[in-house]
Amino acid sequence: MLFNSLHFLIFLPIVVLLYYALPQRFRWMLIFVASCYFYMAFVPYYILILFFIILVDYLSAIAIEASAGKKRRIFLILSLLSNILLLCFFKYFNFLNENIQQCFSLFGAEFHPINLSIVLPIGLSFHTFQSMSYTIEVYKGRQKAERHLGYFANYVLFFPQMVAGPIERYEGLGNELKKVQAPLYRNFSDGFRLILFGLFIKMCVADNIAPYVNSVYADPESHSPFSVWMSVFLFSFQIYADFYGYSTIALGSALLLGVRIIDNFRSPYLSASIGEFWSRWHISLSTWFRDYLYIPLGGNRVALPRWAVNTMIVFMVSGLWHGASWTFVAWGALHGLLLLGERFFKPLISVDKVGTVLRHLLVIKTFVLTSLIWIFFRAENFEKAEAVFRALTAFNTGLFNSTTYYLAAGSASLLLLGDVWLKGARMDQKLSAQPLVIRWTLYTGLIFGLLAFAGTEKFAFIYFQF
Amino acid sequence: MIKKVLIRVLVLLLIVVGLNFMYVQTLYDEDLQTHSKELLALRSSIDTAEVYYFGESSNTTFVPEDSTHMSISSLCAQFYPSLHFRNINKEATHAGIYRWWLKEFDKAGKLPKAIIVTLNLRSFNAAWINSTLENSLQAALVFSKSGPPIVNRFMLSLQNFDVRSNSEREEDMLYDWKKRQLHFPYTFPYHTVREWDDAMANGGHLTEDGQWDLKKIELACHYIKAYALCLDQENVRVEDFDAIYQWCGERQVPLHLNLMAENVQYADSLVGKDLVFLMHKNRDFLMSRYNQKHCRVTDNLELVPGNEFIDQNWTTEHYRYRGRMSIARNLAETLKKDLEKEYLKVY
Repeated sequence: MLFNSLHFLIFLPIVVLLYYALPQRFRWMLIFVASCYFYMAFVPYYILILFFIILVDYLSAIAIEASAGKKRRIFLILSLLSNILLLCFFKYFNFLNENIQQCFSLFGAEFHPINLSIVLPIGLSFHTFQSMSYTIEVYKGRQKAERHLGYFANYVLFFPQMVAGPIERYEGLGNELKKVQAPLYRNFSDGFRLILFGLFIKMCVADNIAPYVNSVYADPESHSPFSVWMSVFLFSFQIYADFYGYSTIALGSALLLGVRIIDNFRSPYLSASIGEFWSRWHISLSTWFRDYLYIPLGGNRVALPRWAVNTMIVFMVSGLWHGASWTFVAWGALHGLLLLGERFFKPLISVDKVGTVLRHLLVIKTFVLTSLIWIFFRAENFEKAEAVFRALTAFNTGLFNSTTYYLAAGSASLLLLGDVWLKGARMDQKLSAQPLVIRWTLYTGLIFGLLAFAGTEKFAFIYFQF
Repeated sequence: MIKKVLIRVLVLLLIVVGLNFMYVQTLYDEDLQTHSKELLALRSSIDTAEVYYFGESSNTTFVPEDSTHMSISSLCAQFYPSLHFRNINKEATHAGIYRWWLKEFDKAGKLPKAIIVTLNLRSFNAAWINSTLENSLQAALVFSKSGPPIVNRFMLSLQNFDVRSNSEREEDMLYDWKKRQLHFPYTFPYHTVREWDDAMANGGHLTEDGQWDLKKIELACHYIKAYALCLDQENVRVEDFDAIYQWCGERQVPLHLNLMAENVQYADSLVGKDLVFLMHKNRDFLMSRYNQKHCRVTDNLELVPGNEFIDQNWTTEHYRYRGRMSIARNLAETLKKDLEKEYLKVY
């Protein structure tokens, strides 16, 4: 079920009403059933994969807690392997085979891979990572193993964030789901604001940018360099609006049930450096990699060369997490390289100490760099990415679709203005501090935009594919 | 808290009413122009037009060498110079869309003197019913639905209409070809489109030197898939025509169904008498079902000779000038029964 569908807009109020109508002891059942229904609207039988993950990690955590020494490690490895193998099978099987085939061909040998034609279970990377964080936390002794299978299942399945995050920790979401929630006006109003804002960002910004970007990426070399540059910049806004919109709706939907989930974005394009960008972009994934990969590899407490290697590993794995393609690895690697560069140049330019003008220039620099790197993320393969780069520097008079461009550029400008106004704050909190007239003027504007200007083509949330 | 929430919900509803007014005054026509041109054309002509012609590409497909580029509806209108004809056309459209267009007359509170609706035999087949163009047709229909225009616009954004992927539609089409039975009053070896198509595809036509004639085979297979069906009231398109028939009957608006010419000649030479039998059988079904009371069916099925079809290697209802003229004259003759005073014999 998509957030931007009538199905969801009917489903959510029903769940919220039932939730508060039910006594606390039955609420977990409602969340469980609602989440299963939500997920099964995509590919029904894929729910079995989620049940498998839930069961394995639930039992593993109890086993880890109950055992000591080597046994604990074995149970952890079993749990992690189950998750990773599942992910590998569905997401990386064909990718691995293709690469083995290419390796064989390098030596003149033949290898005929079996290509699986299966649809990737929606959001698999998200719920496997979320579930893995739980068993790791139990292993480290920072989290008690959950004995109630229903609560644990809801932690993995919770419908507002199950298919594209934020990737929650059990300490946060698990406990939130157990709390006795009373229907509070504040939660309803904040939840409504967030959902309205999220829908606006997804449907009016991302979905109005998508047609322009898609047309340029379909055949970059037939477009003028200006058109291609604009599509590169606009894609940055598209993916941000798409994912930020989703996360905001997730936040709002959870809040209607009294559940607080973490923020995933804090105005990332106002970052003055790549390091800052990663502290503001897809925060739940960045912190996951920091806690479960970067720090175990040694974190900052290693020699510079080792740190550089660790950083590159984390970013490349993060790239691969997004998709089974070398273009995603390249996207991650380039971010890693830029971060290394920033570390080396830190003595020359310290982002924290620069003046306003210089900071603005650094923000523009960071935006241009991240936009150029997004090309690898957006392009289907290296050939297409190369074509986009060629088109950026070609001196020709190609196509320029002004009709879709103005709508796309206008939508992106609105998002940028919104971010400048929010300065990393959460929309509901910022809005609740405004006078009544400003609040309702904004609501009216958002509703009008949503009703009259939302994109009319169907574009699924980009991050659903991960 | 409930009171507080209710007040806000009420205020929001009022805001939506206000925004709807603003939308209708400013952006609505532009949206109709972008997403549903035909609806805009229909609405803007309701006050002036007297006879409506609803059709698809058969009405307006020409070739450069045609001596005149006049549509069937325009040619027919020549027989009624005192009447204002209006044709509302869209490629690949069908009765499932026309039935919604009719509701515009109710909204405007004005009825035309007659309505002509294209009755295309192919529009009843599984390929057309499950066409990949259906999503865009259904999207355009959203603006015809009752409800405030701004809410309809939002429904379009939410994709709240019959929207399915190409593969889903293809699956339904293949299922229909595989499962729907063909009925003959005599023994016939193939019971479904799939069986018949398979048999044809496996060497149904041979060249003089005994090789498979692939071009002929391909075209023959198209003919089978286009016309091999046995119409009954379960066909979704029949349901649509029933709704049109009923709508016109309830409002006493003369309805003319213009059964389009098909290339029966080629169907016979490429596939044989069995396919022609089905075409006749389906024609008879439609004639007996609709040719009564306030409705008349103009039978053009075999009116146009094979070489007068523009597409010689495909199954379409695109005719050269003479074909269009014959159909227009035939239609004008049938129309005369309801509009005799306005009729003028022009050729």
